[in-house]
Amino acid sequence: MSEHDDAEQLQAPDEPAEARWKETLSALFANRLAAAGVVVLALLILSALLADVVAPYAFTDDDLTRRLEPPSAAHWFGTDELGRDVFSRVLFGARVSLQVGAVAVGISLVLGTLIGLISGYRGGWTDIVLMRAMDVLFSFPVVLLAIAIVAVLSPSLTNTMIAIGVVFTPIFARVVRGSVLSVREEVFVRASRSLGASDWRIISRHVLPNVAAPVIVQTSLSLAFAILTEAALSYLGIGVQPPRPAWGLMLLDAQGFIATGEWWMSIFPGLAIFITVASLNLVGDGLRDALDPKQRSIIQSRGVT
Amino acid sequence: MRWRSPLALLALLALIAAACDGGEAVDVDDPTGEDVTDETVDDDPDPDDDVEEDAATGGTLIAAIGGDPDQLDPHTTTSSFAFTVLENVYDTLVQPGDDLTPEPALAESWETSDDLLTWTFTLRDGVTFHDGSALTADDVVASFERIAEEGQNAFRLDAVDSFAAPDDTTVVMELNRPAPNLLDQVGAFKGMAIVSAAAIEDGTVGDEPNGTGPFSFVSFSPGDNVVLEANPDYWGEGPFLDGIEFQVIPDESVKVTNLETGEVDWIDSVPPQQIDQLEADPDIEMSQVAGNDYWYLSLNNAREPFDDVDVRRAIAFALNIDDITEAANFDAATPNETAIPETSFWFLDYAPYGHDPDQAQALLDDAGVSDLTIDLMVTNEFPETVTAAQVIASQLGEVGIEVDIRIEDFSTWLAEQGDGNFDAFALGWLGNIDPDDFYYAQHHSEGVNNFQGFADDEVDELLDAAREETDEDARKALYDQAATRIVDLASYIYFYNPDILEAWSPEVQGYETRPDVATRFATTSLG
Repeated sequence: MSEHDDAEQLQAPDEPAEARWKETLSALFANRLAAAGVVVLALLILSALLADVVAPYAFTDDDLTRRLEPPSAAHWFGTDELGRDVFSRVLFGARVSLQVGAVAVGISLVLGTLIGLISGYRGGWTDIVLMRAMDVLFSFPVVLLAIAIVAVLSPSLTNTMIAIGVVFTPIFARVVRGSVLSVREEVFVRASRSLGASDWRIISRHVLPNVAAPVIVQTSLSLAFAILTEAALSYLGIGVQPPRPAWGLMLLDAQGFIATGEWWMSIFPGLAIFITVASLNLVGDGLRDALDPKQRSIIQSRGVT
Repeated sequence: MRWRSPLALLALLALIAAACDGGEAVDVDDPTGEDVTDETVDDDPDPDDDVEEDAATGGTLIAAIGGDPDQLDPHTTTSSFAFTVLENVYDTLVQPGDDLTPEPALAESWETSDDLLTWTFTLRDGVTFHDGSALTADDVVASFERIAEEGQNAFRLDAVDSFAAPDDTTVVMELNRPAPNLLDQVGAFKGMAIVSAAAIEDGTVGDEPNGTGPFSFVSFSPGDNVVLEANPDYWGEGPFLDGIEFQVIPDESVKVTNLETGEVDWIDSVPPQQIDQLEADPDIEMSQVAGNDYWYLSLNNAREPFDDVDVRRAIAFALNIDDITEAANFDAATPNETAIPETSFWFLDYAPYGHDPDQAQALLDDAGVSDLTIDLMVTNEFPETVTAAQVIASQLGEVGIEVDIRIEDFSTWLAEQGDGNFDAFALGWLGNIDPDDFYYAQHHSEGVNNFQGFADDEVDELLDAAREETDEDARKALYDQAATRIVDLASYIYFYNPDILEAWSPEVQGYETRPDVATRFATTSLG
């Protein structure tokens, strides 16, 4: 009982969680670019979720009599080589991209955080073995490793997500381990350990909250790279399989029609990738500034003046 | 193309030198020219004049091919890219002429015994291999024995019991049954190439191609290029070129762009959507020839429910091959429910399916099949299959069949096909001539390419009989019956015969696109 109270006391200097969140958000929105990124992302997520309702056509709705038509009132982004509506396919493509991004980064977030925590907190041999394993994974070029994994597992949406998740795991493991190493030696952690707090309690109450900031920033940046990687894999024909629309796959199809002037087939999926990745990066940058105590005080002081 | 840019650079250097040295250009750049261009440009001492000189004397043709030859052994490869190259390196005993009937090549003449079981070939005099050794009957016998033992094309020699070389210029084949199509089989394409007996003994057939063709092998850098040079001792007309460089350019649009900008002189295929654009381009010769290729869908008879002929027929009824053809090839193909194109003597006018989803549904209901999901295997190396697969998926969706499209790279694709690891696949067969090529290996229950596991006694009997039938009309009647049954039982579901599309720069003279896709550059020149 007394043990518990001591720990609470030691944590007391920290602000209440709710207030911290509000502050972070207002700091984030103070950055206009990041705010724009958040808005665009929200729109993307919304349209991906509502693609069934919003899209004027089904993504497999082919009609050879209307193939390769330029943008018009009926087909805002034109039609592709099978007469399918490019606008609808870009919308459904958003669903694929965001899903792959979320699940893949989810996988690497959980795995990487776990490995990083164990590695950083335990230290010693555990640390050496785990981190060298991560180094091996990390030494492969990201896309190459993803290709290898997909090639072994056979190409599909699920395997693409697994491959990207595995490839991004070392990044999270490193970020988390680095933070854990510094937090582990902080006075308040040592104090609670000396008071007999269990490892689990120390990790969940003290270490995790203090490594959250870099992990959150890394998550939003990794989302961008995961979506890019998925587009690359699909473009190479080993990611998402047709007729399911993915932006990379649409670019692959469009490639044969660049020379003949069907620009809409490549421009719109390309723009979609660009906008998504750019806004994720903006949000990531904004989050990094907002979560960094030094930067935060600068932002706040700027907000005051 | 490799050498042209350094050459342009040299010309530029020469100009600069001229400007600096006040007219001493020739003296200054001469030695440089020798050093840098020695390997690629003849012995011409003055690099400044090379471009014009080459145009007059031959020059090197830069040909773009869509993929790497997997190997350069004509007897074991099945890659069309390998044959695009090897067509110019090797010869066969006889070869398909302009009308695709066999004409003399390494064999000058041949005779058949009265019982049709002994064939005697007389070889052309004075033919030498690229290494200088003379072609003898022993080389021919050794080549055929190698093909019969380990080649992809052993089935073409099924009818032959023994090969003999009684003297240096005579080859005798003893047959176990009459084979009216023997010439078509031994000379179908360069997969039946005559290689030297010494190379077979040394095991160097694949590494150091040594043929009798118009061009000899210089080098092969996988992923980059294959270089050939002219064979001055070639027995036939030509070659007029100094050499050929086959550049590997997998991307179709890059290939076309390189032709437009003059980086390459010839390309081995044209995306069908770009036909109109290239035909309108005065700087490009676009060639479109009705070919003997065909594309098809095959269902795995070893798996349920595709062992049920009604299910296979239902799928045939549900598909609209006009749409598949249009989607995959625009106007550059002819829909056909059988294999052999209408330009051929062996064409069979038979189209029992059409597009009839109601009939398809009825057949599926009768067979008691519902909630069917098909694993359809296609490959990006042949992008038309990926396009076709999406149309197939949408058409079969109308009768409640779900299609999972699986794109594999071609080598994996071939392995999966060999293992029977598929519900269905879509692909094509290229460069067939004799009707036996179209049907036997694919649909005979013991055919080497019968990956779908189709087995029908009547088809077997018809194909066996047709092989031996010497009367052409009777033979056609047998193949018509066999083809009818193959179509009715949906061993393959045939889609279309595509046109063969090639393009080249107007400088390329004396080249013709052939319906059997043989790329012969012997009489080609750059002018």
